[in-house]
Amino acid sequence: MASVLASAHPQETVYGQVGDATVPLRFSSLDEEYKVLRERAAVLDLGGHGLIEITGPDAVAFAQRVLARDVEYLTSDRCMMTLLLDADGQVVDQVLAFGREDGILLESSCGAGARLLAHLRANNDEGVEITDRSGDLTVLGLEGPYAWGVVGRLIDAELASLPFESVVDTTWNGADVVFARTGFTGEYGYQMIVPVEHAADLWRQSLEHAQAAGQEALELAMLEVRQPIPRHEVTEGATVVEIGANWLVDVTKDEFVGREAVLAAFEAGGGRRTVGFSGGEGVPAPGTRVWVNGQDIGEVVHAVHSVGLGATLGLARVDHDLAAAGLELTVGGTEVTTLTSPYIVPKSWSIPII
Amino acid sequence: MALRPVVVTGLGIICAAGRDPAEFWQRLTTGQGGLTPVEDEAFAVFTARHAGQVPDEWIAGQLPGSDAALDRTARLALVAARQAVGMAGLTASEVAAERFGIILGKCQATPDAAGRYQPMHRTQDVVAERLGLRGPRILVSTACAAGGNAVGLAKDKILTGEADAVLAGGVDPLLFGTYAGFAGLQALSTGPCRPYSHSDGLNLGEGAAFLLLEPLDLALARGAVPLAEVAGYGLSADAYHATAPDPTGRGGASAVRRALADAGLTPGDVQYVSGHGTGTPANDAMEAKVMRLVFGERAGQVPTSSIKSFVGHTLGAAGAVEAVASVLALRHATAPPTIGFDDDGRGRAGDLDFVPNVARPMPIGTVVSNNYAFGGNNVSLVLTTPGGPRPYEELPRREAVITGLGPVTGAGTGVAELTEAVLAGRHGAGRAPSLEGRTFAPRSLWRHMNHLSRLAIAASRLAWEDAGLKLPRKDLDDVALIFATGAGSAESTGGFDESIAANPNKPAVLSFSNVVLNATGGAVCQTLGLRGPTTTICNGGASASIALDCALELIRSGKAEVVLVVAADETPGTAALDTGDLPAPSPYDSGSGGAVRGSAAVAFVVESAEHCAARDGRPYAGVLGTGHASGDTGPHTDAEAGADADADAVARSIARASAAASESGASTASGSVAGLVVGAADGTAGDGVEAAAVLAGAPGARLTASTALTGDCQAASGALNIALAALAVRDGVAPALTGLAAPRAGDLAAYVTKPGLDGPVERALALTAAPGSVRGAVLLGAR
Repeated sequence: MASVLASAHPQETVYGQVGDATVPLRFSSLDEEYKVLRERAAVLDLGGHGLIEITGPDAVAFAQRVLARDVEYLTSDRCMMTLLLDADGQVVDQVLAFGREDGILLESSCGAGARLLAHLRANNDEGVEITDRSGDLTVLGLEGPYAWGVVGRLIDAELASLPFESVVDTTWNGADVVFARTGFTGEYGYQMIVPVEHAADLWRQSLEHAQAAGQEALELAMLEVRQPIPRHEVTEGATVVEIGANWLVDVTKDEFVGREAVLAAFEAGGGRRTVGFSGGEGVPAPGTRVWVNGQDIGEVVHAVHSVGLGATLGLARVDHDLAAAGLELTVGGTEVTTLTSPYIVPKSWSIPII
Repeated sequence: MALRPVVVTGLGIICAAGRDPAEFWQRLTTGQGGLTPVEDEAFAVFTARHAGQVPDEWIAGQLPGSDAALDRTARLALVAARQAVGMAGLTASEVAAERFGIILGKCQATPDAAGRYQPMHRTQDVVAERLGLRGPRILVSTACAAGGNAVGLAKDKILTGEADAVLAGGVDPLLFGTYAGFAGLQALSTGPCRPYSHSDGLNLGEGAAFLLLEPLDLALARGAVPLAEVAGYGLSADAYHATAPDPTGRGGASAVRRALADAGLTPGDVQYVSGHGTGTPANDAMEAKVMRLVFGERAGQVPTSSIKSFVGHTLGAAGAVEAVASVLALRHATAPPTIGFDDDGRGRAGDLDFVPNVARPMPIGTVVSNNYAFGGNNVSLVLTTPGGPRPYEELPRREAVITGLGPVTGAGTGVAELTEAVLAGRHGAGRAPSLEGRTFAPRSLWRHMNHLSRLAIAASRLAWEDAGLKLPRKDLDDVALIFATGAGSAESTGGFDESIAANPNKPAVLSFSNVVLNATGGAVCQTLGLRGPTTTICNGGASASIALDCALELIRSGKAEVVLVVAADETPGTAALDTGDLPAPSPYDSGSGGAVRGSAAVAFVVESAEHCAARDGRPYAGVLGTGHASGDTGPHTDAEAGADADADAVARSIARASAAASESGASTASGSVAGLVVGAADGTAGDGVEAAAVLAGAPGARLTASTALTGDCQAASGALNIALAALAVRDGVAPALTGLAAPRAGDLAAYVTKPGLDGPVERALALTAAPGSVRGAVLLGAR
């Protein structure tokens, strides 16, 4: 599925296939887009995120059962990030759930819309209405230490300082916009869900105040603050605890799909845990073995070259008692050091919204 | 046409920057602040030492010897109250005691002269008694917004015609525990605070301030000089966080906008803004946003200053202290400065004009005074140069109905369970309400909440669902919430006090944020997303009916169509007992073993009849009339005189409720006041006084009391009486006094002694009581 904004993107845009979506990986260069995101403000084409609406009298009950966090009282001015699990506790997708007046709206992770839709339909015991809105709505993001200024110039200064995960229904040039304070990279972050016919206009207007950044810069900046990227981190058989996504699950909820498996993983303890590392030469491929004192303790999950660190940055899934910061490990024959997150301190943390 | 103009004719103040209005203003305009290091050695444990303290001799020098034994809070309040009455030149011959009210804002539960906690409303009762005030009496406790809120509520009491003069103000002393709490929140500045520039924290202060409000026509008729008009006020709830302000400034902006709308003015009319300006980074940043949201491009042209760097943050008094400063600013056409302002540009919010360091003479016709509080409660006052006499309209009468009930009591949670308990004659006195089987808020909030907030949220949610209200987000922005409580969270207050006693530098900060009485109301707003007008009433067992009055005033003035009233109080030690021998309270019985204390929360939805009809809602009952009467609070020389005063207050409250019903055109076929009276008896000797007054004032009515069902739960019992009266009117259900053998007054036949009624009653009267202070009566009728 191509981005609805493809015609608005520059010719030199490099696209890539992420799950079911064709998304702009970069518009210019990774270094430049990364710098924009970390130092100024970036506009993101999040068209690869599927949008699925759940409505009907049992919409909340259904959502409460399939989502791993508590959404019973998710009002129309709030959103939250959570997981959908299968009965075995395996991650199906990581979503942003928006409370709506008549139900709930789910935004899938990049390229996972079709899988999410299929999962929802397969679990629809309540007979709720599940509508794929990806054809008529799309998502634009703003991210960066000065993204709040762009919000003020583009829409309304009042929205810039919204608390995290707050949502406002607003309008822009006559179009209904669901505006949310979110953030993937530790920087000030916002999302705008807009009708596709207005998306190109909003994109162009946004570019008057900020520069575009592609999926590569976004995912790098996400990794640097340990924001989970499911397409890289969810591996066959890994539990929520091993992935390190327990914060996206609420086991105090009486019931949700996959709860028993998560509880079992919590109670079992042991297993593996995910930890960040940097250093070494080159970027190890996923699956590269991780060693310490000649012992195989796990594998690399995902690694990239971090522009911010000027070094390799990756995640390793290793024996739980070795998933700690400050350890020297061997990855692919070179030495790396484990880290505590965030691996980069976002500039936004020291910049107030005025 | 506009409503009756209400003016300020007297001012009183005592704070660190002056012992009276003249000295206060002289110091404000010459930049002489009053923040000094606290000398008391107990405070040596804190790094931050500056506070706004009132020298003892300023207090003693203005009080007669007969007041010397009173506690500091009462003495501060008396100084300011007497000054305000004196400046207004109001004498007893010019206003009847019955029509002279007092609305007091107070944040802290303050100690008596011996250092023990006393009821929140005690300070107010003392002032009322010394000044001979027997009119409307409300203790408002919206933390740091209370003083401003009191001025607004006072205006309402004049508009409803209940009072011809009202003393409105605030008071709070400097308390060690509160100091430790703010220190624990890292909210104190180590030196004198510097609002709007350095913004590195606040200083606490103490003081009292009062404004005497009168209708313009009466003030002019008696030759008084109007100092300013209270043109309007606005309340709002952030629905965001227990202590931090909504960073967008939405809540603060909405209070200003509501106040301007109430005054019939626009932002363009405002010349000066008296800011809250505590000096904390969160507050100061949020306030800059309020200025920009309200005034837009004009924000930089509207000077706004904070006098907190003169007097410190006087908490419940702050809004009244700043209202006094605002009236003086109008009178003298001078904006007081923000002293301690660092003008090197560091940290200041760009283009805004904070009147740095030097007072500024300038034409001022309209002032907005803002206050923001823990619990996300905001208040704005609009004060204007007084206009001349002019014709006005009475506050319109609008029919209000009760459409939803949310009882959370030891006898049952929800209407169905409670009804079942009533019909089965089962009581739950002394048993903690059960919240098993359901969370009433997002778990992320619920798990951090204290018990009282959980009870109140459960009650609110149940009342809301019972009313069948389904409102879109934008309508919730105008739904009002009035919280009523006698003492707030005993759990948090106890936990905080224990932590301070153990180590003042390690206060239980989460408990501290819940010590303010309005915290629970704020938690309800946050959980249900209600951003309409909000306030918190703390008049003991009479709080709920006073809260209902506030709700009715919001509906009458068109400020809200839907108001949620929730009352909650707890008794430490009540446990969730499944079985066992619970003591059965026996109200009105001469053989009663005394009161059984309990914990409960009870909410009810009050709606304009129009709004209810438009959505096809099914009301329980219409609110026909309410009445309150303040007792002569003593000190009585003997118990008999006290009982007489209470009996008189009960009789007057019933007569007022009944008269209000007649005035609003309600008529009854039977001619009796009500078929059923749900009284405020609690099983103590005072029950006989109430019963005798009821039997005389509402002949033919049958009497019962909710404490038979749940024990005495303070404010929640008052609310339960109202809820049960509503239930009797619609569903014919009323609790029975099954154990009543020998009534303290009247015959057994005058009481409900068997579960169930013969059918719905046409009218039911609910009584509330803060004995020795205020008695309330609420008359409900079939719809």
